[in-house]
Amino acid sequence: MGNVSLRRRKERRRIFLLLLPIVLFSLLFVYYPFLRTVVNAFSRVNSKGEIRGFAGLENFRYTYSRPDFLPALIHTLTIAAINVPLTLFITLSLALLTEKSRRLSPLFESLFSLPMAVSMSAACMIFKSMFSPSVGFINYFFSIKCGWYESSETALISCVILTIWMGIGFDYLLLLSALRGIPKSVREATMVDGISLWRRIFLVEIPLISPTIFYVFCTNLVLALMTSAPMIIIMGVSSASGATNTLMSMMYQSGFSSSDYGLSAVMSLTAFVLTLSFTILSFVVEKRRVHYDA
Amino acid sequence: MTHRRKEQIEEIVVSLVAIALGLVIIFPLIYCFLSSFKTPSEFLDPKLLPSSFLNLDNYKAALERGNLLRYILNSFVIAFLGSAIRLIFSILAAYVFAFYDFKGKNVVFFMILGTMMIPSDVLLATNYLTVSRLHLLNTYMGVMVVSFVSASATFMLRQRFKTIPRDMREAASMDGYGDIWFILRVLLPITRPVVTTLFVQSFISLWNSYLWPLIATASSPEMRTVMVGITRLNSWEDENYQLVMAGVVISLIPSIILFLIMRRSLRKGGLEGSLVG
Amino acid sequence: MKKFISLLLFSLLILSLVFSSGAKEESTEVKALGSEPVTITFWHSASDEAGVLMDEFVRTFNETNPYQITVKAIYQGQYSDATTLMKTVVSAENYKDLPDVMQLDATGKIDYYNSGKAFTVDDAISSYGEDISSLYVPLALANWEFQGVKLGLPFATSTTITFYNKSMLEKCGWDKCPDTFSDIVELKKDMEKNGIEAEAYGTVPNTPTLANWLGQMGSYLVNNKNGSESMADKLECIDNGALLAFLKEWKTMYEEKGVANRSLSTSQFVNEEVAIFTSSSSNVASVLEKVDGKFEVGTSTFLRVNDSASYGATVSGSCLVMFDSGSDLRKKASWEFLKYLTGDEVQSTFAISTGYIPSSVGAIESDGYQALLKAKPQYATAPEQLMVTPKEMKSVTVGPSADFYYGIMNGVGDMLNNDVSPEKAAASMASSLQALLDQYARNNI
Repeated sequence: MGNVSLRRRKERRRIFLLLLPIVLFSLLFVYYPFLRTVVNAFSRVNSKGEIRGFAGLENFRYTYSRPDFLPALIHTLTIAAINVPLTLFITLSLALLTEKSRRLSPLFESLFSLPMAVSMSAACMIFKSMFSPSVGFINYFFSIKCGWYESSETALISCVILTIWMGIGFDYLLLLSALRGIPKSVREATMVDGISLWRRIFLVEIPLISPTIFYVFCTNLVLALMTSAPMIIIMGVSSASGATNTLMSMMYQSGFSSSDYGLSAVMSLTAFVLTLSFTILSFVVEKRRVHYDA
Repeated sequence: MTHRRKEQIEEIVVSLVAIALGLVIIFPLIYCFLSSFKTPSEFLDPKLLPSSFLNLDNYKAALERGNLLRYILNSFVIAFLGSAIRLIFSILAAYVFAFYDFKGKNVVFFMILGTMMIPSDVLLATNYLTVSRLHLLNTYMGVMVVSFVSASATFMLRQRFKTIPRDMREAASMDGYGDIWFILRVLLPITRPVVTTLFVQSFISLWNSYLWPLIATASSPEMRTVMVGITRLNSWEDENYQLVMAGVVISLIPSIILFLIMRRSLRKGGLEGSLVG
Repeated sequence: MKKFISLLLFSLLILSLVFSSGAKEESTEVKALGSEPVTITFWHSASDEAGVLMDEFVRTFNETNPYQITVKAIYQGQYSDATTLMKTVVSAENYKDLPDVMQLDATGKIDYYNSGKAFTVDDAISSYGEDISSLYVPLALANWEFQGVKLGLPFATSTTITFYNKSMLEKCGWDKCPDTFSDIVELKKDMEKNGIEAEAYGTVPNTPTLANWLGQMGSYLVNNKNGSESMADKLECIDNGALLAFLKEWKTMYEEKGVANRSLSTSQFVNEEVAIFTSSSSNVASVLEKVDGKFEVGTSTFLRVNDSASYGATVSGSCLVMFDSGSDLRKKASWEFLKYLTGDEVQSTFAISTGYIPSSVGAIESDGYQALLKAKPQYATAPEQLMVTPKEMKSVTVGPSADFYYGIMNGVGDMLNNDVSPEKAAASMASSLQALLDQYARNNI
């Protein structure tokens, strides 16, 4: 009896020590500063960032009633709705296509994953110049006259193209290594059974790599809901900026750049709650769908 | 015979399709590389090829104006050490999440996951204060310290570790082996491809960070990172893209080298990995 | 296991000790400049070509100044990054990390003024008894006044001018640049007659351009002289009808196809997709380089709303400000450095290599600069425009600067895209922009 509780205590201490570094640093460098943001959301904060008094829900009322809030929310959700399934589809297709080791595998694996080496700001500059309506290569090559980032009809989708491109490399590699990790025995068993390619993919391979698929789904969801870089770097000076404003770019432009820290706090709190609820929801669904045991 | 013929055709078709797709995917990089040889007036011509690949003015200017070589070392130290610590923290945490049950596990897990849902801009001012109180301003440690927590790495490793049967750890523990032994001798060898991928991804993201390194090294330009150098290639009121493209190409070199090294280890690991993930 | 963790924490501690730097103590004794070596820090945002020049200027100063001053120049990213950094240091009250001298653009003005550690040009003038204000181009100096205080000295001075494709205009029978909005409409008609498909002009007004056009009609965008005398809290272009008048002219020009509702600038101009564009005069050199002789480039004063509007546009660019380090020696050294960077020699060199207007009168009159104006007449438009711009025209200083910028752009853009009447557009811009000012006032009173 005593032995069991001693082991429990020891185990608990081990858990504590193993988690200590990451918990300590996330408390110190993420949640402690975030606490200040939460306080700011309920305070009157001046342009120097000093708290001038309690504001109740005033910042929330002001932020949510701004005419640009709802469009920003809709843009954010639209980006997530397009980005998440499309990234998953593209990277999974690429991973399935190149799953088998071939003579040229190193070549196309490198080609597919290289985008991950590029920084967001560099990618923004490359895309901005490639998609420039008048001097960009894309319009020239296809002989079209699309406005891309400069026109309010196409600006949002142009931003999504960029964020999807940024995500391809890393997600592809993870999915590929998951597929390659499927035990030979399982693979051979399906070969012998002689089931069709599609059935093998959907009934065997995808369920077997579902933990990685779930990861790709969740991180893309979070990243999509938090998108702001293309909006700030590319769209910042474009006259179509209103068409791509997201929660995060609004937090930056109407909050930081306009010295309204109350608004920026409300925006980040809103995005946090929204993203966390989507993620928790995904985990609830995951419990039923994702298989961890081979 | 026909079966082999069919396989050969398949090999050729798949390879061609994959290479075509691959070229589309890295096209922006090709574009960036080709543009970096253009002159300012050529850059405004939508044609893909520069008139001459011998026009190295942009590279010369990028190296001189951006001080890039000097900053590459800083970026390397920060990205390498930072990623190493990041991964150690993530591996320890992911191991607990995958192999132990305890009260509040979900709360701690979501707390760590939550760190990626908070925009780093709102943390800047307070973190600056904290780092300054710890006397870490203008040091490598000060630049790295805010990025030791990686929710995505912890999450991915948890996903991977969870596919490894718990019995394996219990067996190891019965034999008197501790957690660290199990992580080093069992978990890491099996999951090496994922760990390397995460390391490279983390290296690249730290390599590419800009605003925090700028703020944390405000009074020592010699501690600056490569991304700060690249912004110095942009001019005030006009866009000098061809120069920036050359800067991007230079800054990409270390990432790509690391990436190619990692790919080799990924391949080896991929063959050894016997479990599903 | 426990050993491992403690090892980890221990190594972190060691790392932090190794990398940490001790804070240096500053002596606050009063000493005469030149009696001992003094080092000051200088934050700047000079990038690209200007960055190379800036490094050169600092090196020359360090080598030649008679006061044993060493300037440590640090590039701090773009103006907005440098301002973010300054705000962060101030809000952490970590004043010892503030520089002695800093380069600021217009958006940093309020933050500098509010920092509590400003050592303004007015402070320096009264401490050292040297009134040097007459040495500078009046509009350039006045641009860096806020609430009646001269905050800094002008370093990079530019103004908005019109660039035009002389060769294209000549084909349509135009021997001079369009001057007013209705000229542009005429030009577009002539371009169509001559089978030239390019747009005549394309831009979406934002804070500085709108303020210029309102200023030409004698109105401010916001009160307190565009926020230059004290914090603006009301729009000032609504009751006097100036905004409405502008929007009417703008919509007419759009409907007559004179202006495209998107920004067409250097790249479209170089590719002959647009006949004229308005941009900072500091781009003269790079526009000429990019056009590379494909056609003739002309420059002219900034477009006017109509015939009754006055000429001119406000000054933009950057200035140099000082912070109060508490050390008299360092403050004196900063002042010497400030005078050097804004002095005749540096200013004329800088202007000749970049296309900025010299900020000092002496540099404008210098032989080198005058020779440049003769050789390349495109450079002459900006300094001439500075001379005719009314003194009352002020650039806009508002708290919610980014939101104002987008508010104006979206307001005008919407009017054209959705065919809203100028009256409705003016009313909706009035209410959304006023709401921004109100929110700022609520937070800052």
